[in-house]
Amino acid sequence: MIRGGDLAERLRVNLGAVSARARVRIVASYRERSWIVGETIFPFLTMSAFVLAYRGLKAPPVYEAFVVLGGAMIAYWNNVLWSMASQFFWEKEQGQLQLYLITPVSRMSILLGMALGGIAMTTSRAAVILAGGALLFHIHFPVDRVLPAFGLFLLTLAAVYSLGMILSSLFLMWGREAWYTATLFQEPIHLLSGFYFPVRALGTAVGSFAALLPVTLGLDGIRQIFYGPAAHGLVPLVWIPPIQVGLLSLFLYLAHRSLATMENLGKREGRLTLRGG
Amino acid sequence: MKRVLEVIRAGSWLGWQVEANWADPFLFFVYSVVKPLATTLILFLMVRVVSQGHATAEAFVFLFLGNTFFLYVSEVLIGISWAVFRDREDYETLKYIYTAPLHLLPYLLGRGMTKMATATLGVIVAFLFGRFVLGLPIGAVGTPWGLLVLATALGLISVAGLGIGLAGTSLVVARHSINLNEGLTGLFYLLSGAIFPIEMLPGWAQSISLALPFTYWLELIRRLVTGRTFAAPLERYSNGELWLILIAATAMISVAAWVWFRGCEYRARAGGLIDVKTNY
Repeated sequence: MIRGGDLAERLRVNLGAVSARARVRIVASYRERSWIVGETIFPFLTMSAFVLAYRGLKAPPVYEAFVVLGGAMIAYWNNVLWSMASQFFWEKEQGQLQLYLITPVSRMSILLGMALGGIAMTTSRAAVILAGGALLFHIHFPVDRVLPAFGLFLLTLAAVYSLGMILSSLFLMWGREAWYTATLFQEPIHLLSGFYFPVRALGTAVGSFAALLPVTLGLDGIRQIFYGPAAHGLVPLVWIPPIQVGLLSLFLYLAHRSLATMENLGKREGRLTLRGG
Repeated sequence: MKRVLEVIRAGSWLGWQVEANWADPFLFFVYSVVKPLATTLILFLMVRVVSQGHATAEAFVFLFLGNTFFLYVSEVLIGISWAVFRDREDYETLKYIYTAPLHLLPYLLGRGMTKMATATLGVIVAFLFGRFVLGLPIGAVGTPWGLLVLATALGLISVAGLGIGLAGTSLVVARHSINLNEGLTGLFYLLSGAIFPIEMLPGWAQSISLALPFTYWLELIRRLVTGRTFAAPLERYSNGELWLILIAATAMISVAAWVWFRGCEYRARAGGLIDVKTNY
């Protein structure tokens, strides 16, 4: 049985771990000026290529808005993949993973810190994409609907980063295949999540499968909030927040179980440190 | 020269081991072709869904060829500079390169060879997918395959040159500046007209586009594969002129990249950055 004093102490230590892990990323991001350029201006240019391609294809203007919103959301998904899911792999490569394991804090606290720091890092990228889309390409975002869209966006981020925690536990076990596996989760997810066009265009069966990903649902919902029926939504908007809450709870539970299981398995199989030879 | 070739060969072998020896060849093949196939499918569906019937078959061929061959740029450009971060921070071997009787530049070129090989695999599979699954009118009888290989090789030299320049930059910046390298790839994706005609760019951006070798490279490849011109601002150039521009640009990039790399390398050594760790 945990006494009140112990619980308070554990909470304090874990919150300290969350704050410390997040702080490293936030401070590091803004200390490196090259990062700011690489993380904000250049991704915007990639998104611009797609807007121009859409114009070349004579797509309806609302599709340009879709691709801008998708471009902002891609930034978070890529952050989940490369700076959260695969982070333990990088830490293992550098011999730092064992330092995490000997600390008296929950792995989920460390991951939560990574997530919060990662969100702070990525928000500048997403903000530049949205602002650039609005200012340079005259993409219209209905201002009166920003608040509900932002609420759904926050809920989506929580679910997406919880999924990142589960992926992180899997990557804990992997070696160099982690790099390729992350790639495997990148472009195909860009396709399945409807980053570039409404996911309903993939058909009901594929779309329903894709809707298991919180990023798909979130993007679908945000587009519906902004553009109504023109968004060609996959799932009715009223269903999306409760589904996201359900996914968030499920993913957090699975992440907790999976991290413990994978860590134990990793210890038994000696996969938590680098092997020579 | 013989020594340089030996170092390139050793770097290639090491790069191959780092990239591929964790998996059996079939699994590695699958991992290597997923990305190009996924991007091809994204474009295919994008054209079908987004254009709502307005796009012509030629428009898709334009997108397809640009996107497929641009794989070389994204893979090799990022691959060479990423090798610096991997060796410096993950394997902590970069400092040992300096204690060995070799120069860093040919070693990094060798590391880039692996990425060239995997990118080539991806391009070939995507090309075959486009030809036989999507039924695109590419690779017909009469396609000058020899010239296509030559043009691809020339483009690769210029990509490798830029990769070396970026590797130099990587020596003096933190690990997460890999975003800078990915971002530059995005910049080239935009300005070289990989997926849309460059005449859609504003005038100032077109001027930059016309200063990039990749713009001419992609146009030349499209012409060799389909036999027709695509980018309106390049219509006035014959194929021979495109070759000459590409050769001149490649030579200039190679020299500039070498000078830049040497400058960055000196700065990294002077600043004690050869064994710095920046994984935040």
